[in-house]
Parts: sequence; C-alpha cells; structure tokens
Amino acid sequence: MEMEILETEINLSVKEEEEEEDVSGKVHQLPCTVKYNGPSSVSHYFKPKPTPTTGIQHSFFRGRNLLGTTLPIPHPYSGFVIGKKSFVKRKASDMSEEKNSSCWEVKAKFQNLTYWNHDTLPSNDDAFSRSFHWLSVAEALHKPVTAEDLVSASMALKKMD
Amino acid sequence: MGSEEGSSVPKWASKPCIMGIDEAGRGPVLGPMVYGCLYCALSYQKTLSSLNFADSKTLKEEKREELFENLKADESIGWAVDVIDPKELSAKMLKKNKINLNEISHDSAIGLVVRVLNLGVLLTEVYVDTVGDPEKYRTKLSERFPSIKFVVAKKADSLYPVVSGASIVAKVTRDRAVRDWVLDETADNIQRNFGSGYPGDPETKAWLENHKHPIFGFPSLVRFSWGTCTPYFKNLVEVLWESDQMDEDGSSSSNGKRQLKLSNVGITSSKRKSEEIESSGKGRCKFFQARKLEQLTHF
Repeated sequence: MEMEILETEINLSVKEEEEEEDVSGKVHQLPCTVKYNGPSSVSHYFKPKPTPTTGIQHSFFRGRNLLGTTLPIPHPYSGFVIGKKSFVKRKASDMSEEKNSSCWEVKAKFQNLTYWNHDTLPSNDDAFSRSFHWLSVAEALHKPVTAEDLVSASMALKKMD
Repeated sequence: MGSEEGSSVPKWASKPCIMGIDEAGRGPVLGPMVYGCLYCALSYQKTLSSLNFADSKTLKEEKREELFENLKADESIGWAVDVIDPKELSAKMLKKNKINLNEISHDSAIGLVVRVLNLGVLLTEVYVDTVGDPEKYRTKLSERFPSIKFVVAKKADSLYPVVSGASIVAKVTRDRAVRDWVLDETADNIQRNFGSGYPGDPETKAWLENHKHPIFGFPSLVRFSWGTCTPYFKNLVEVLWESDQMDEDGSSSSNGKRQLKLSNVGITSSKRKSEEIESSGKGRCKFFQARKLEQLTHF
C-alpha cells in the first residue's frame, strides 16, 4: 500500500454549479470488504429482490446469500458520498497539488441505505442498526444547556439527597 | 418445477407402486441440479422394461427427448422433478454453516418422495441411485419413510428401468433448463454458449473465461462453490468476508471435506486482521465498540 501523510482536516464543500446527485436506494453496505475503489456495473449484476410482507430483501454476491433491509437516515441527517475536490491544474504536469489536497466535496447525497447480512436476517440488534443510536446520544451531549434545564437538573439533584 | 400430470390421481396409484429417483447436473460448474422421479404401479413394471429406457447418459439427446415425450404421454406413468437453482447450490455450500452437496441431494430426493406420497400414490418400493455411501443413505431414507422398501445402489440408473426412466426425466429437464436459462444479469455482453457445464468441457471453460467479472465473479448461473471456480477467483478483485474471519478465529465449524474452503475464494494469504474487513471501535468506550463505531482521522 502506498504510504502518504494526510492532513487530518477535512473541508466539506458542496459542489457549486449543479445540484449533487441523489443516490438514495443505491447505497449498499455489504458484510465484506471489496478491495476495489471505482465504478462497476453494479445494477447489471447486483439484483436485490424484495419480499413484499417483511421488508426484507434478498440478493446474492459472489455466490453468497445476502439478506438486507433499507434504513432511512434520520432527519435532519444525510448521507454523503465525498470525493477529493478537483482543482483546475496550473500546469499539465503538476499533479501534486491535487493529490495532497485535503479539500473534499460532496459528489452525491442519500437519505437511506441498505445493509446486508450474510445468511442472517437483519435485526435491531445488528451493530449496524445500533450505530444510529449515536445520533441521539450525540444530540443529548451537544445540545446547548438552557437556564431552565439547569434549574430542573438541580431540583432533581436535591430530591435525590 | 413440478410435473405436468393432471390434478386427479390415477386409479392405479392406490395400488402398490414403485418409483425410481435419479439426478442430472450434479457435476457441472453451472446451471441447476435436477432431481427426477418416475413412478408406476408394481404391475406395470414388466411393460416399463419394454419401453427401452436406458441410462440417460448412454442415449443421444434426440432419443432422450423422444422417450421423455413418450413417458409423459403414458397414462400409466407418473413423474416429478425438483430443479435446484445454482444460486441455491452456491448459497448453501457457502453458508456460515455449510451444507454439502450430498445433503442437498438427499434432501431433494426426500422432497420428491414426500411430494409423490402427498399426491396419494401408494409407494411401496423406491429405487435410488446412490449419493455417498449406499448403506448409510438407505438407512436415512428407511428411517424417514418406514413403510417404503428402499433399494439404494451405485449405477441404479442402468440396473433398474424405473431409475433409467427417472434419469431421462432429470436429464431432459436439466438440458432444457440450461438451454432456456433466463439470466438474472442484464449486462449485454453475456453469451449463451455455456457448453455442457462440465468442468472439463472446452466450451464451458471458454465461457467461464469470457464471463468472469472483476467484482461480481460470474453470472449467478455459475456455482461459485465449485473448486473449478477457484483458479478464476485469483485474478479477480479480492473480497474478504466478515463471516470467514469468524471462521478463522475458530468459532465456526469445519465440516465439508471436499468443499471449497471459504477463505480460499480470492484470498491469497491466510491470516487477516479483522480491522481490515470491518470497523471495530477498538480502544473506545463500550458504547462505540458494541456498535463498531470507529473514529476516523483520515481516509
């Protein structure tokens, strides 16, 4: 693997001219690592089939049976596909600027994603579904505290004494 | 799936009946595996012997087709098939708890017996071409169906006309299924010159070579669990499965002797760090670990 020192800062910027593509319904989380980054003819080979009553979907990947379910990303959050921001090159040979850039831009957006288990039915106990808990925990942790909150908290504390 | 016989059960079915069971397409690397059965009254056995059924492999395709049409038209004969999709074969053999091909075969044969009994056919003797050890297989079947006498033998398809008939049912159904196969994949460069599907067939080899896909492997007509596929996987994009990782950690079973080892599918080195396959949340508080939420500082 190529070693490269990356800056830890990520600058998110929304593409200016055009509206970013909505890829809702096309984002899949598989129970495996595919050691490839880039485009592929996914829709020609990956054919999820819904079962009408349960909301569970079936598909196959490399001969394995996958069971999946589509989860909405809770409002007001969104999912983003980001890519390194492409700059207009100053010189044809000067690629370094682009390569080392820590500027990322939104390429596409999604409001739901489908996650797949190998042979097991998706459930609320799956780590993946549970990871969404973080959103409400984070909200509670980071919400500004109002004067009223402080009053009710100190009252509660007194009661406990 | 299923036979074309009428919904009403023939009169002769309430008299003691014999049945033969045979398979087609067990060896091929692509297409379905088909189990077929043929049954008739015990008293019809002699006539059956005169119908020139022979082991389907020794007959030419046209002859098999002709015999199949004849037996379909014969009102003294009943038949049924179980077509097992290659996707199902791959998925079962690559399950977390792998099911081997013998088990799948046995289950299919048992399914056919159940189906014919449920039609109301009085089966007293069933002849089966063996899969695995004949005596063990016979015991398994006899325990499941105590009222039926089972004869399980090697080459039953050339020994018993009722099994020869079943082999024709299975073979013709398999050939037609491959010929008329509707591919799930919609890429427009997929050809239909599959060949016989046997791993040694040059046409099948050429088809596999021409239809491998760097990410998806093959169209789902192919049985991914076949050892024949392994050399092709080496040149594809590597795929590491979370469930295989568990396997290597020693928590899962290791049955299936000749079965393709899961971790060999596109994997070159044996030991892998699980972090490569899934995020871990290692070193963080329990809340994050349980949800596999990892903090990323760069990507």
